[in-house]
Amino acid sequence: MPETVQLMITCLVDTFFPEVGEAMVKVLERAGVQVEFPSEQTCCGQPAFNAGLRSEARPLAEHTIRVFEATGGYIIIPSGSCAVMLRQGYLELFADDPPWLERANRLANRSFEFTEYLVDHLGITDLGASWSGKLTYHASCHLLRGLGVDRQPRLLLSRVQGAEVVELPHVEECCGFGGVFSVEHPELSAEMLKRKISNLESTQAPTLVVCDSGCLMNIQGGLKRMKRAQKVVHIAEVLAHQENNR
Amino acid sequence: MTAGKFRDRIRTSIQDEALQAALDGNAERRVQGSKAAFASLPDHQPRRQRAHAIRNEVIEHLDEYLERFIKQVKNNGMIVHRAEDAAVAINIFLEIARSHNAKLVAKSKSMVSEEINFNHALEAAGLTPVETDLGEYIVQLRGERPSHIITPAVHLRRHEVGALFHEKLGIPYTEDIPILTNTARKVLREIFLTADIGMSGVNFGVAETGTLCIVTNEGNGRMVTTVPPVHVALMGMERLVPNLDDLALFLSLLPRSATAQKLSVYTNLIHGPRRGNDPEGPRERHLILLDNGRSQLRNSPLKEALLCIRCGACLNACPVFREIGGHGYVGVDGSPAPYPGPIGSVLSPGLFGSLEFGHLAQASSLCGACREACPVDIDLPGLLLRVRAGVAINSNNKDGVGVPAPLKTGLQIFRKVADKPRLFGLLQRSAGLGSRLISLRSNWMHLPDFSGWGFSKDLPRPALKPFRNRWVDLEHEEPGKIERKKLPPVKIETIPTKLIDLEDQFMDELKALGGECHPCKPSELTERILALLQARGIGKVMVDKKAGETLSGSNLELVHQPDPTCRGGVTRVAAGLADTGSLLVTAGEGELLSASLLAEVHIAILNRSDLHASLPDVLNTKIVRQAASAVIISGPSRTADIEMTLTIGVHGPGELIVLLVDDSAPAMIK
Repeated sequence: MPETVQLMITCLVDTFFPEVGEAMVKVLERAGVQVEFPSEQTCCGQPAFNAGLRSEARPLAEHTIRVFEATGGYIIIPSGSCAVMLRQGYLELFADDPPWLERANRLANRSFEFTEYLVDHLGITDLGASWSGKLTYHASCHLLRGLGVDRQPRLLLSRVQGAEVVELPHVEECCGFGGVFSVEHPELSAEMLKRKISNLESTQAPTLVVCDSGCLMNIQGGLKRMKRAQKVVHIAEVLAHQENNR
Repeated sequence: MTAGKFRDRIRTSIQDEALQAALDGNAERRVQGSKAAFASLPDHQPRRQRAHAIRNEVIEHLDEYLERFIKQVKNNGMIVHRAEDAAVAINIFLEIARSHNAKLVAKSKSMVSEEINFNHALEAAGLTPVETDLGEYIVQLRGERPSHIITPAVHLRRHEVGALFHEKLGIPYTEDIPILTNTARKVLREIFLTADIGMSGVNFGVAETGTLCIVTNEGNGRMVTTVPPVHVALMGMERLVPNLDDLALFLSLLPRSATAQKLSVYTNLIHGPRRGNDPEGPRERHLILLDNGRSQLRNSPLKEALLCIRCGACLNACPVFREIGGHGYVGVDGSPAPYPGPIGSVLSPGLFGSLEFGHLAQASSLCGACREACPVDIDLPGLLLRVRAGVAINSNNKDGVGVPAPLKTGLQIFRKVADKPRLFGLLQRSAGLGSRLISLRSNWMHLPDFSGWGFSKDLPRPALKPFRNRWVDLEHEEPGKIERKKLPPVKIETIPTKLIDLEDQFMDELKALGGECHPCKPSELTERILALLQARGIGKVMVDKKAGETLSGSNLELVHQPDPTCRGGVTRVAAGLADTGSLLVTAGEGELLSASLLAEVHIAILNRSDLHASLPDVLNTKIVRQAASAVIISGPSRTADIEMTLTIGVHGPGELIVLLVDDSAPAMIK
């Protein structure tokens, strides 16, 4: 019996980058996992939580908990940031409410970020993916410092046939997204993004790989505005890619 | 609440090229330097966790630790005052000043004094406070507040300091940093020697022994606590550690985090005023313990901010600080926040209220670089989130502190939609269609600047068919069979133990600090000292009793009292520390701290049998505990306050020469 997992798609992937979700399903299925998608899910509530609007975040967190409580198996998330919200944010949000805290804890214990699940839980690093050309990897803040996930995506990328992975200078520096931060403080966000893009340019890689669609949207949005040709892709898209299967 | 002045400040800071260059330099050098400094501390993560636990214990039981600390400080002969707020603290100080008829106050760096606007209050009362840390002196001359906890003039470039000194001190314009430093040295030397009161902050108070620990690099911290007749220390009441062994742990973290040093040049350990026949030291020492909002902070969900040891590492690591600098953090009225950077965005609203400073917490991408850099592992992103959630005082019990109204409304509408999956799906598809009207051809939309997002980046068009709709028609693959193999856990590198020759290590470390070390036989000692002094044309030296005995019978003029006219100082030191190249000197009868402080050249005599492996071996010993004050000296005095350019020789000696006397067999340790 293959293991069944629940896909938590995240509102950004759902709305803006559905192809990332498709790639993720492909990769998980190739890894021998059966994927289910609870269709009542919407948003985990992180935008409101990060803005400090806990009264607005709470109904969405409760909704998310209810939706996934009705399902079984691990919850797999294509975003370090949303995984941090489920694993840490909810515990803070419900700290003063023991019954909900208990439910949040159960949810937290079922949650995995996508690459973390593949490498740490399944023990898979080679998904038979191939890619021609140079790739460089950006370490998303919440993934790296919130979850401590770094070697997992790097290992997965190192096993991609044909890909030349080069190190991004100052890889751990924030790209300036920060959710509501990028809207509230556009000037600061812009400066941080400029630095990220100039580091990306120094690698001469045409493709930047990220594990979070927030960073994807931010960096790609900046590249578009600056009329640059580089592409930002989610790691699921790289892992789903097979050069000979075009 | 608006934060318009803050936004304006951000814009002007980003456009200020000199500021940007200075801040880039700071971020790059400090972060690299600190990494290198921690490389010599392989167990630094466990230390960090221990430091967190110790500080947490102190804050949890602050009343008990304070009681023990105050009792010990009093036993040590100091006068203790408690101040509930800024006004009380200032009145206490003015009262002390009045009782001594004091006018001139020489100050070493103290963030707490900035917090209570100390200089301003003193000037209003007719006193003259003079900052003596080079960076702090520069900002005082400019009429500014420090822009960084550790390097107050980090926002300035050398040409600005050159112009300032030309204007205020009347020297010819120069960009030569050693000349600028030396000018400040000369001016401030007069201040130290004539000040009525020396005023300092405190880095750590030690509860068990009542020790005040003050670390400085330039030597001004030693000057103001040694030379003037009265010393007043001002300390935030939370800055305690339980005992001297714990202090050793914190001293392994603070200088590395703050200035990328294994130890600061001068680690002062103060126990009391001058005793009996001591040749120097203030006759009276006061300690003012300041609350100023700390008790109430301690009873709030922001309590963890009290663990802070004010190293400034979170400022250096922060990408937002890198753009706006310390002066960029302003309250709603445009006045500077008491503390800058990530910790400041918690402390300022935590101590002084959300209405004034709550918006600062919104200026963070929550990237977590601050927490990673924090030597006591304060969860700064978590605390910033709590400030945003309205837990600080004066937040009117409202959450979303500092969120602009349109964004707040947007998030409220979003919640109402995202609560209902069907409505959410409907709106997703409508947005997909609608966005095609805004941007016909491209998948990316150029939104106006005022949207925030559109200021520097395009926004993707929402998909016509979101994932939830694609899922229904998704073609699924047969579950694959891929080999699975769990990875071994990450190995923590351990450094192989090897025999270390203490003498070699001591000499290497001291040399790296800019000091000299010459091994010598006991019979050669006198001759070697005379040669060193003669080569420098020094005929008159300050000596302690033992050095005086070694040099008696020579042609030298030996001075047993503090004497700023002596260019040389010779002392027998109590101990050496191999892993930091440090020396221990103490106050007391027959000792002379001034010889290692006022002189330009300090020659130290160290017996090989007094070499120890590291700081913990000497910190919690009788000789330190019983001294009215003790100093651990690590190299010649230095500063990096102008453009982070290392300059040797500020207020303390510019030359440190150790004669390592071969009185025993070499010691080896594992």
